[in-house]
Amino acid sequence: MVLNMFNDRRDTCPGGDPVRPGRGIAFRLSFWILLSVIGIFTLVFGYYYMLSRDLIVKKIEKQAGEQARGTAARIDTVLAATQKIPENLSVVLSDLPFQEEKKLFGLMKAILARNPEIYGMAVAFEPYFRARNVRHFSPYVYKENGGIASTRIAYDYFSWDWYRLPRESLSPVWVEPYFDEGAGNIVMSTYSVPFYRSVGKRREISGIVTVDISLAWLQKLVSDIRIGETGYAFLISQKGTLVTHPDTSLMMNQTIFDLADERSDSSLRDIGSRMTRGEAGFVESRDVLDGGEPCWLAFAPLSTTGWSLGLVFPRGELMADVSRLHRLTLFFGAFGLVVLFCVIIWIARSIIHPLRLLTAATQTMAGGGLNAQIPAVRRHDEVGRLAASFAAMRESLQTYISDLTETTAAKEKIESELKIAHDIQMDMLPRTFPPFPQREEMDVFAMLKPAREVGGDLYDFFFLDDDHFCFTVGDVSGKGVPAALHMAITKILLKTKAQQGLPTETILARVNEDLALDNPSMMFVTLFLGILNVRTGELTYCSAGHPSPYLLRAGERVNPLPAENGMALGVVDDFVYRFRTEMLKKNDCLFLYTDGVTEAADVHCELFEEERLVQALMELKDKDLKSIIEGVLERIEDFAGNAPQADDITMMVVRYKG
Amino acid sequence: MDIEVTQDSEISVFVLRGRLDAVSAPQLEDRIGLWFEQPGTRLIFNLEGLDYVSSAGLRVFLTSAKKMKTRDGKLCMAGLRPNVKEVFTISGFITLIPAYDTLGAAKDAIR
Repeated sequence: MVLNMFNDRRDTCPGGDPVRPGRGIAFRLSFWILLSVIGIFTLVFGYYYMLSRDLIVKKIEKQAGEQARGTAARIDTVLAATQKIPENLSVVLSDLPFQEEKKLFGLMKAILARNPEIYGMAVAFEPYFRARNVRHFSPYVYKENGGIASTRIAYDYFSWDWYRLPRESLSPVWVEPYFDEGAGNIVMSTYSVPFYRSVGKRREISGIVTVDISLAWLQKLVSDIRIGETGYAFLISQKGTLVTHPDTSLMMNQTIFDLADERSDSSLRDIGSRMTRGEAGFVESRDVLDGGEPCWLAFAPLSTTGWSLGLVFPRGELMADVSRLHRLTLFFGAFGLVVLFCVIIWIARSIIHPLRLLTAATQTMAGGGLNAQIPAVRRHDEVGRLAASFAAMRESLQTYISDLTETTAAKEKIESELKIAHDIQMDMLPRTFPPFPQREEMDVFAMLKPAREVGGDLYDFFFLDDDHFCFTVGDVSGKGVPAALHMAITKILLKTKAQQGLPTETILARVNEDLALDNPSMMFVTLFLGILNVRTGELTYCSAGHPSPYLLRAGERVNPLPAENGMALGVVDDFVYRFRTEMLKKNDCLFLYTDGVTEAADVHCELFEEERLVQALMELKDKDLKSIIEGVLERIEDFAGNAPQADDITMMVVRYKG
Repeated sequence: MDIEVTQDSEISVFVLRGRLDAVSAPQLEDRIGLWFEQPGTRLIFNLEGLDYVSSAGLRVFLTSAKKMKTRDGKLCMAGLRPNVKEVFTISGFITLIPAYDTLGAAKDAIR
């Protein structure tokens, strides 16, 4: 996150502190925290909602079931009382001889007068029961204009449901309710009970006693049931006909199955089936009236008539309180989220503000302004510690840079001194070629390439007199400044001794003595010394532990000069050196070198070796002196590739021209 | 450069492997310096595994030989490879530090 802030350049303008969280800490912090809190809140709220809803549904189910059963029981009580009247009358008719029409009418009128819920009653006899020539005999009394009227049913009633059904089943039957048009414009239902007579010992059915009951009171009772503001009750018959319903146009007109068909609502059909089967239950449904609002429906059967009472509980209304509570909870939740968001932004900004200042200071420091003001953060949290660390870092950077400046100065001083030393060392070597242009008997060329600024290799050449040319190549053990100092001493000693006119072995013996005199660090020098008589071509030479020079002679292989292996100089103070001589022919060359040539290494630490040197010399020996040395150096450099030069490289070629 | 020191009764054997040049010579010098703090007088350089020796390396042998001489001890080398032997021969140091073909021969010589 810190990186992100550093990359966002617009965030780092010093002094300015724009309210622009961008994709910085404030954004991430608020985004993820709010996301998590919303997730948690949604889970808790959802669980709480489900739980409260379930509790309410259970409560409503219990209450609805009780109310449905209670109401059904109340209706049953009234209907059961009504049922007693024709049942009792049927018993009376069985036992007493009521053939006399007048007495029968009197009894019926008396019963009717005492039972206000009964609208009318009939005693319908079997065909030809009263007389052989009288097929229909059925006295009927009913209420009319506040009084009681009587008549005889004149139509052929035997095929009517109120007569036929109890006659066939020989048991009391509630006939499907019907709307009595004309008589009272009310819904009525008829309860029919068969009665018998004893003929001898046989019991024989004599007719049917019926009572017509007005269902107005039942409709009123059911429609008075109010559930909340919009809940209601309804009653269906055993065939599903809507006996009472708030919508009077549906009453006695349609069955619950008709409604289900109209709306293609199979669940309502299932409910209808369960209700007409006499089951009790509680189901989720839609408004039975118009099929719209979701609601709960509780239903219970009437045990007397086999009808079913349904109670409709409008869901929206019953859940209104809970829904309001949930809306309030949601509102407070949202309000809390906004507060939380503000708090997060505030915290994030209080962290980011010093960070931005620090970033600006760091950028100034990165640009080289090490004296940039580190903002004072007087806090003891991580940001405060970061600011303190920044201040400490700046201090150590300043210290480090000042140290570095000093060290660099010191190093530059040493380097400059080494450079001067290098120049001095190189100036000690003869470097003008050809060195003796007036001499036609011989020529010489040499080069020295130190591995560091100064080295331990040396070469030298000079004429001892008109005829004797002295030349030497040497190598001090080790490299660098100690070797360079030793090299300078050796070179001066050698020239001094040589110019005294001593023979080669004595020169080496004297130089050796001086070097070995006080040499606790055992620095030693390998050296080859030769004196060439340029008039005769006679070469006298002596080696102090140095590789023998190669003799380049026309028409012959390149071979090293045979040598007496003398001890390196500075090791054994009284060592006795031996010399050898060789007669040089015209145009013979001597190639002198130090081990920097043969021990030049490539990147795999493979050495150049004598074989490669001999090969190179074979190819180059007829060229001029400078080309021979440059050719060998080129081959060494090609061989070494990227490997650094490990040792000083020195080469010298002397040609005898005769 | 790999240096291993073994002890065979009174004889110490320095087994050197790899390249002894200006870079690795100080390492050997320190190790030899430690050895000379002890009172030993018999030292063999086993050079069977030594690939290369430079003039800086030669100097270490030389200082060792000198120190050994002052305490009247014996120092020699064993198992020199041809190129290493050549370096010792050319520089003349082979006359200062005796060289033997095998370690056994070297041990017999200084015992």
